[in-house]
Amino acid sequence: MAASKSNALNWFLHRITGTFLIFMLITHFWVQHYDHQVASVTHEVVTEEGQMPDYPEAAKEGVRARFGPDAEATPYQVVMQRLADPVYAVLWKGFNILFLIVALHHGFYGLNNVLTDYIRNPMGRLIARSLSWTTALVLLIIGLYSVITAGW
Amino acid sequence: MAVDTQDRPSVAAGTSGPTAEQDSRFQRYRVRTGMFAWLMHRLTGVGLVVYLMIHIWGLKSLSDPETFNALIAKYHSPIFKVGEFALLVAVAYHAMNGLRIVLIDLLGWSPKQKKLFVTLGIVTVVIILVGGWPSIYALGEWAFGPGTMPSLFL
Repeated sequence: MAASKSNALNWFLHRITGTFLIFMLITHFWVQHYDHQVASVTHEVVTEEGQMPDYPEAAKEGVRARFGPDAEATPYQVVMQRLADPVYAVLWKGFNILFLIVALHHGFYGLNNVLTDYIRNPMGRLIARSLSWTTALVLLIIGLYSVITAGW
Repeated sequence: MAVDTQDRPSVAAGTSGPTAEQDSRFQRYRVRTGMFAWLMHRLTGVGLVVYLMIHIWGLKSLSDPETFNALIAKYHSPIFKVGEFALLVAVAYHAMNGLRIVLIDLLGWSPKQKKLFVTLGIVTVVIILVGGWPSIYALGEWAFGPGTMPSLFL
């Protein structure tokens, strides 16, 4: 049980992953919301139930240039546009895998800190810890699968 | 420390403040700036973990164009726009307060605590207003009709 002897490494890692997350989140937000060509959520638009949002001209042009003149700018196509370039795809997938691991570690280590603060008995702590890290592992597998197979 | 408990009274104790036994554990703490920052960090943190779970779970829809399009269409509904804004508030607060913790813990900026708190507070408000404007704008346009909101920098 070397890990439980000292939490200093995890404590330190929590700060490092947190700092990394600030920069990764800025990138993530920019790509998802503010780049008019590749943003998959067009942020200035509220639509009625089930209605598809209208995309900016830049996004429509980008999709048409990639997938032919008849291609429609749907959310899915806008994402695929990003992944269609092999080099770009590897870069984005690499970024997202790293992002996924860092975010999960930061989030679930933090959650464990909170849980151990309120759960006093050792058995309860063990159960809470196993449950939360199992959840994290499941999410990691789902996330990795989704990121890697996207656009196949 | 930022946390004062009743077991360790402050200098002014005796003249004012609660002295009788209290049944709620929360009332035992006096909430000060640092305590408030810590509490909010904890609350937003738990909220963000819950969001992270939903968010990663939603990624599964990338395997099917129809499902994915339907999901993104849902993200443009009014209630999700409100959620989007709340998410930005939580993220901005958690990120900037986290940065404050890192600067104090790793770079030893604790002598400048107060100034750091105020500065990062202002940065947080700016991030929320500038980053959140698209969501507020969209909600306003939807609620009050097209052309009613100033588009500003959009």
